[in-house]
Amino acid sequence: MNPESSSTPTQRLISRATLVSQGAEAKVYKGELHPPPIYPVPSGNRDHDSEPVLIKYRFHKQYRHPTLDASLTKSRVAGEARAIGRCLRAGVNVPGIRMVDLQEGVLAIEWINGKSVRFLLGGGAEGEEEVDEVHGDVVESEETDEAEEDPLKGYNITQDDIMQLIGTEIAKMHEADIIHGDLTTSNMMLRPPSAPDKSSELVLIDFGLAYTSTLVEDKAVDLYVLERAFASTHPASEPLFASVLKAYERQAGKDWKAISRRLDDVRLRGRKRSMVG
Amino acid sequence: MESFHYSQFSQEYSNVHIALFTNVTNATELRNRLVQASTMSGPEGDAERQAVDFAFIDATLICSTLHLKSAILNSVLAQAQGALRTKTVHSEILWNLNPTNNISEAIRRYGVSSSTTSLLVVRIGRPGDPATVQMQMSAVVSGDLSPTSRLAGITDWARVKKYYKILQQIDADPQKDIQRVHEIVVSSVSMKSVIV
Repeated sequence: MNPESSSTPTQRLISRATLVSQGAEAKVYKGELHPPPIYPVPSGNRDHDSEPVLIKYRFHKQYRHPTLDASLTKSRVAGEARAIGRCLRAGVNVPGIRMVDLQEGVLAIEWINGKSVRFLLGGGAEGEEEVDEVHGDVVESEETDEAEEDPLKGYNITQDDIMQLIGTEIAKMHEADIIHGDLTTSNMMLRPPSAPDKSSELVLIDFGLAYTSTLVEDKAVDLYVLERAFASTHPASEPLFASVLKAYERQAGKDWKAISRRLDDVRLRGRKRSMVG
Repeated sequence: MESFHYSQFSQEYSNVHIALFTNVTNATELRNRLVQASTMSGPEGDAERQAVDFAFIDATLICSTLHLKSAILNSVLAQAQGALRTKTVHSEILWNLNPTNNISEAIRRYGVSSSTTSLLVVRIGRPGDPATVQMQMSAVVSGDLSPTSRLAGITDWARVKKYYKILQQIDADPQKDIQRVHEIVVSSVSMKSVIV
């Protein structure tokens, strides 16, 4: 597998970027898309255009038929980009898109400084192989005993506030008929506040499995996936998730009743829930 | 004028020069010159085309330098993939700025016209002396060369929103709303290959 050979601009971009993590589907890098100016000589003013980007590279899968692989990769990248685009127009907090290269299977999005909600709530073992923690400003303290160190320090926010932000963002997303498809606390990030009097901002990420649907069923399932993720990753989190739903209800208004009923149905359906002996 | 070196692009297109001209007085002449240059033949035609080998963009429709650079990035990528929709990498920038597929519409909306008073001029080319490029630009545009930071005060947000069909207000706070609009526009340009 030689994904980083230097023949195309995007491949060269990746070869100069830093690998952040690798999943089954894609490799994620931190890189620079737009360089700072060479002329006039940099004045020391912060050049916002040359801020880092997150590069998601859906590498070639050897186990797939090449034609199918090419076509699948393109449609996944396209689907993710479109979902993010729709979210932006609907006012949902998601990272902005900085580059799409369908040919190479690459999506570059705005780099979000901060940590995942999973990390901030103190989760279990990390699922994905982390090559290097290069997220934001908050100091990594994996080596020391985390029981005393509050991961939320510096964020000016309580766990309950985070839950409310989550509920609100998901409700906005569902209002626009966008289903995330993989709602977990690893797919939500918190941006630290820009000033001491400001609050943190929640950002939804990873729209690789997202799609459009008006169905109450799909929205209820989306929420259920999150509920199960909460239960399995963060012990004793039922009251937290309840806050999520409360905030969702507030944002969703009249749509809540139908979704709430469906959610109850979906819960009953869940694994090993049969009342049959 | 600012110059950038994109190390990921091939040599021929690795240097990008961006200049903002305000109080432009020869917009109509410039437009006519561009139209003429495209049809002129022989060495005279070549010389003319060389003299105006830039992208001329109406600055009031550009939200930020990031917005412009996103369109530039798409254009150079298309060039590298042999997938240009227009004749040159410079005209491709105009096409990338426009939300639809229509090339004439893109040039009409985002290119220089008789009503243009603020112009962004872009050259994509080989590494070379930026001062020379700046001179070539100033030879063609009659206006005041200004720092690109002035762009913030020039953008006509109402027109931008109209072309990008951003009809409703997204955020109650007007400053935050502009930020949201900016993000939608930059993202839309970046994902043009997917949505249009």
